[in-house]
Amino acid sequence: MKISEFIETTRISFEALSSNKMRSFLTTLGVVIGIFFVVLMGWAINGLDSTLDKTFNAIGTDMLYVDKWNWSGGRNWRKIEARKDITYAQALEFCKRIKSAEVVMPQGRAWGRQVQFKNQLLNGITIMGVPYKYALTPSGNVTEGRFFSQFEDMNSADVAVIGYNVAKNLFPDSNSLGQTLKIGGRSFTIIGVVEKRGTFITDFMDNQCYIPLSSFFGIFGSTGRSISIAVKAGSEAQLDEVRSEAIGIMRGVRNTPPGEEDDFAINESQAFREESKTMRIAVYGIGLGLTALSFIVGMIGIMNIMFVTVTERTKEIGIRKALGATRASILVQFLTEAAALCFTGAVIAFIICSGVIYATVQIFELTFPPYIPPGLLLIATFVSILVGIIAGLIPAVRASRMNTVDALRYE
Amino acid sequence: MNTPIINIEHIARVYDMGGEKVHALRDVSLNIYPNEYIAIMGPSGSGKSTLMNILGCLDTPSSGIYNFKGLDVKQMDDNDLAEIRNREIGFVFQTFNLLPRATALKNVELPLVYSGISRSTRREMAITTLTEVGLGDRMLHKPNELSGGQRQRVAVARALVTKPSIILADEPTGNLDTKTGIEIMHLFQELWKRGNTIILVTHEEDIARHAHRIVRIRDGEVESDTTNSNPVYA
Ligand SMILES: Nc1ncnc2c1ncn2[C@@H]1O[C@H](COP(=O)(O)OP(=O)(O)OP(=O)(O)O)[C@@H](O)[C@H]1O
Ligand SMILES: [Mg+2]
Repeated sequence: MKISEFIETTRISFEALSSNKMRSFLTTLGVVIGIFFVVLMGWAINGLDSTLDKTFNAIGTDMLYVDKWNWSGGRNWRKIEARKDITYAQALEFCKRIKSAEVVMPQGRAWGRQVQFKNQLLNGITIMGVPYKYALTPSGNVTEGRFFSQFEDMNSADVAVIGYNVAKNLFPDSNSLGQTLKIGGRSFTIIGVVEKRGTFITDFMDNQCYIPLSSFFGIFGSTGRSISIAVKAGSEAQLDEVRSEAIGIMRGVRNTPPGEEDDFAINESQAFREESKTMRIAVYGIGLGLTALSFIVGMIGIMNIMFVTVTERTKEIGIRKALGATRASILVQFLTEAAALCFTGAVIAFIICSGVIYATVQIFELTFPPYIPPGLLLIATFVSILVGIIAGLIPAVRASRMNTVDALRYE
Repeated sequence: MNTPIINIEHIARVYDMGGEKVHALRDVSLNIYPNEYIAIMGPSGSGKSTLMNILGCLDTPSSGIYNFKGLDVKQMDDNDLAEIRNREIGFVFQTFNLLPRATALKNVELPLVYSGISRSTRREMAITTLTEVGLGDRMLHKPNELSGGQRQRVAVARALVTKPSIILADEPTGNLDTKTGIEIMHLFQELWKRGNTIILVTHEEDIARHAHRIVRIRDGEVESDTTNSNPVYA
């Protein structure tokens, strides 16, 4: 088949479709819905992935957190609860011994606390007691003001750096710097605001306040709580080395007998990767199920309408063959028509999807991109054309095999 | 005379109608030479259309030999036959067989699409041919906006546009009144003068008289094959 013939064939296909607009539109509904789900699913997973990447970066891809608690589940809850707390002394000993880490520091954490600005209360805030070195971790990026200094740290200064949500809720349109925030009954001066770190799965990251560790102990006490240790490996490549050293030292510090399981956790950003797997599978499962279903319905619709079209146009097929159309020409003509039908459906789906995606992002304030990713657009277009070709194959073959004389006599 | 453009020997065509065999053609032999003007006549059901379909490579004989320009049609595959129909033969049908949704111009362009000719050249050739048949001012009309005679002119233009060596016309005037029929016959005559070979199926003696040779068929066999020494000029 020559190119000029193929171009003409494509033109013929679109003309045939537009001469039967309503029928074409109804036929393509299944495909519209199918592509709609494909695109939406792809977009959701894409958004999920980019959100996860953001989360990893916020946690730090080269960070390890030695803790009593495991971030991700799957372990015996009772066993974890029965673990002894990591004491401040153990944490300090650990920090002293570890050699391979770039930065290492103990940190105290108090969950679900209340903070107060004038007469405004904010609940569910995590108070983090951290050394000044915390500024070196990804969590220490301040967008306003600064992190506290070594001097303030050593002197238990009453200074606080607040998380993004805390600033947004308490100081929606005023400057928080220099204001006084009450934490655990003590007044702190706000000196910095941390950049937005959380995503919709890690919103808690922005509901935190950071104060010097010594001040933290002053309010919440240093005993009766488990201290966690932040370890910055320096690079992802060094994670393995640092992790094994950390485990060895921690076992030593806690006198874990050989052969016994670790009685502490080494947490990493990878834990969220695990968590996200379930989400991905859920999105994929629902998306693929709905997509497959609507594609099957769509294909049956397209196949049906193509059979009708071929029968209706038997005479036309006869005429074309009499004038020199080969079987291949007729085959391509009807395949192109089926593909064009599906492609039109895909375009309609793209338009609907764009609207839905934009609205979703606006309403739920998602960090997902508010448009269809271009790669996905390409894939969906390809899939739609493929679906058309598969659905149109049998009718098109039938058209191409028609006996010319019989077709010409058809009324 | 020179070598025949069409040579058929002992052609038969049998339709198998669920066990019952219909012998549309029993034993037909013919030689047709370049630039002949032949009318095929015969009563209804005698096998004229069947013969035309075979000559036009739309259908193949059940038995017998068909040499087209010296080539054995039996040896040709589907694509070869399509190519012969496209390049060597121009069909004109009783019922016009135009594409109803396409303009006259598009209809005439159609065979050129299958010759793989570029869009602009196609257009140019179709316009020239439509003008030749006197439809230069009706090119953008669709078939249902044209009279019967005009439709048949479009069909003739479509048959001519690829410059085929043979024009096959199966009752081209069957759906036209006498006057319009004569106009179409005039077109054929012009084509014959330009060197085309013309094979025409007709019922009507008046129409057949334009041809230079008349082949009569009865019950699937050639009844007579005579020269018309005194053809009428339209
Ligand atoms: N596709 C077919 N299947 C079965 N029988 C057929 C078929 N086409 C033609 N015939 C039979 O073959 C015989 C010859 O038919 P054909 O159409 O060639 O006649 P014709 O001479 O063209 O007649 P008319 O003048 O009425 O057009 C008829 O008996 C017809 O019924
Ligand atoms: Mg007939």
